[in-house]
Amino acid sequence: MVATIQHFVEASTFEHRDPEKISNVLSLAPGQIAGLTGIPGSGLTRIGMSLLAPHAVHGPLVYLDVRGWASPMAAWEVGIEPERLVVVRSSDIVSWSRIVATLLDGVYGVYAEVPAGLREQSLYKLAAKARAKRTPLVLRPVSGSLPSGIAHLNLEASEVLWEGAEDGHGNLTNRRTRLVASGKATRGMVRTIEVEDDGTNDLRVVPHMGTQETRAANRRNRAS
Amino acid sequence: MGQDGRIVACNEAAAAFGVVVGMLRSSAEAICPNVVTIVQDLSVEMARFEPVVQAIESIVPRVEVAEPGTMYLPIGGAVVYYGGEEDLCDRIDKELDSFGGDRRMGLAEGPFASYQAVRQTTRSHPRYIVDDDERFVANLDVASLGSDDLAATFRWLGITTLGDVAELPRDAIISRFGRVGLEAHRRAQRLDRSTHPRDIPEDQVVVSHFDPPIEDSERAAFAARNLAQRLVGNLSPHGVAPHRVIVTATAADGTEQKRTWRSADPFTERSLAERVRWQLRSWIEGVSGGIRGGLATLQLEPTDLSGSGRQMALVEDARAFEETQRVFMEVQAIAGRDNLLVGTPQGGRDPGEQMLWTRWGEEESVPERDPEAPWPGRIPSPAPALVPPEPVPFEVTWVEGIPEQVRLRSRWVPVLSWAGPWRRVGRWWDGEDSSDRYQIVTSAGAYLCEVREGRTYLMGVYD
Repeated sequence: MVATIQHFVEASTFEHRDPEKISNVLSLAPGQIAGLTGIPGSGLTRIGMSLLAPHAVHGPLVYLDVRGWASPMAAWEVGIEPERLVVVRSSDIVSWSRIVATLLDGVYGVYAEVPAGLREQSLYKLAAKARAKRTPLVLRPVSGSLPSGIAHLNLEASEVLWEGAEDGHGNLTNRRTRLVASGKATRGMVRTIEVEDDGTNDLRVVPHMGTQETRAANRRNRAS
Repeated sequence: MGQDGRIVACNEAAAAFGVVVGMLRSSAEAICPNVVTIVQDLSVEMARFEPVVQAIESIVPRVEVAEPGTMYLPIGGAVVYYGGEEDLCDRIDKELDSFGGDRRMGLAEGPFASYQAVRQTTRSHPRYIVDDDERFVANLDVASLGSDDLAATFRWLGITTLGDVAELPRDAIISRFGRVGLEAHRRAQRLDRSTHPRDIPEDQVVVSHFDPPIEDSERAAFAARNLAQRLVGNLSPHGVAPHRVIVTATAADGTEQKRTWRSADPFTERSLAERVRWQLRSWIEGVSGGIRGGLATLQLEPTDLSGSGRQMALVEDARAFEETQRVFMEVQAIAGRDNLLVGTPQGGRDPGEQMLWTRWGEEESVPERDPEAPWPGRIPSPAPALVPPEPVPFEVTWVEGIPEQVRLRSRWVPVLSWAGPWRRVGRWWDGEDSSDRYQIVTSAGAYLCEVREGRTYLMGVYD
């Protein structure tokens, strides 16, 4: 026989957007690395989170926050469930590599801000580990750009245009970011793509906007 | 108030206004405007409940705690010793008189029935003794199974009581409802106490020794999580999970304290870690003098293993889950406990207010503000991707109330367009000033800023 005794003394679901597949140009398979270059405000955080969002269905993603400014709201808006995003704050350049290396062992995607002054060798080692562990990795240098040969997809923000705000009226609604994409993902070509983000869906690549240039054409342009 | 924003307990004064358990906080505040709401902290509740458990243990041994405020007692022997069920209840009542408060008892043959019995009690009738378990359980509504979805489906099928559920063929239940249905069927047939007989590996006790001994709750919580993870991790390859765990803490002076925790569903790492943490906190900070000299050894001993084990989502796999937990613990050790965070949406007018941070591995914080509320003056989406912990000074040139230029690092950048202001009326009674928020667009990006007392601050970057 059992007695149950209770003793008392006096005493949202978050509405996230439906994730849609990002265009093939902006996708990151397991083990691939993306490098994002551009100043804060160019929209690269949302783009980076969108690259990782499809992987959140398998398990948690991590945002390694060097500046201490990371806000998960933008990640939620691109379709990552709140409980699937863990933010790690660390501005310590010494432990940064160790943290990323540890995370690559067991999470399903890492968005890492890269502190200034980090040794290139550390980044090469981490890139190799990300490939070996098949963990997608997005690297966003706080200043400067990544050394060559690390990223599968390099995205450099060249221009950002906002719509919706007009002399005190309306509010920000739609952003178009022009990106220069390069790396293995673009098969050696330097491609200019424009990405549209209206805040209600995943990012879309604007069709027929980009221009493709071969490396040879690039060299010719630079020479001229 | 519990995690879901509903009232879990109220005092008599609030009850006199019509506040009842289960009511939404907003409803309670509507009928009783002066009500003071306290967010439920189960570890504090356990610390206050521990003396009650100890008092009961002096009458009936082998107490099993289900949650702070609720315990199960095997009373077969005690009923005979004290001369009957009513006499035993009187004895328990007398023992608990010194604690005050409201206490209720439900007596039945099995734990599920006794739990349902205690739910039948009221403040004026605090005891419910079940004469005939079979009839009592059979007459229970399907809502007593604790799953709204399952209850709704049963009702739709014309099945309204547990008696109806018990009569359904077991195979049909399993094929239609899976594990949840099987568990419901077992409870309806009053088989909740027995577990599936399986070959369970012997000696699954996990122990941790601490040198130097642990003397604070924070470190104890960390140890609890480690040990809970080890226990559940050791059991999961065998496809079993514990329903009941004995927590044993040995103090540096050799004294030993034990407590049995019980759960209707198999313990997960998280649920077990929580209970061990509550228990350790109640021992360390409790009225019984704490753990003298600190916690030297912590031991978890599983009993009543269930064959159901931990259920994973289809695309997840148990080993990967454990690996992720291990990785987070390791990163926590490198970066510090306060630097591994999970955000939860909550209401608010500014981006900084709309997220609530919780340390990874800890109970999710209860949102202070309802995210579904309208929040006049809220900045419309999209949300800025970068939000400083506190607004930082931002240099903007204003000409007749219109932003002209923004200083980004060392250069001035012209403003291309702007929106706002969104007026925020501060809590003037607390001396808080009003402010205006603007969205400012430049060729380098867009920024959310606030103008307060003639100065401009950066609140977010649309990155």
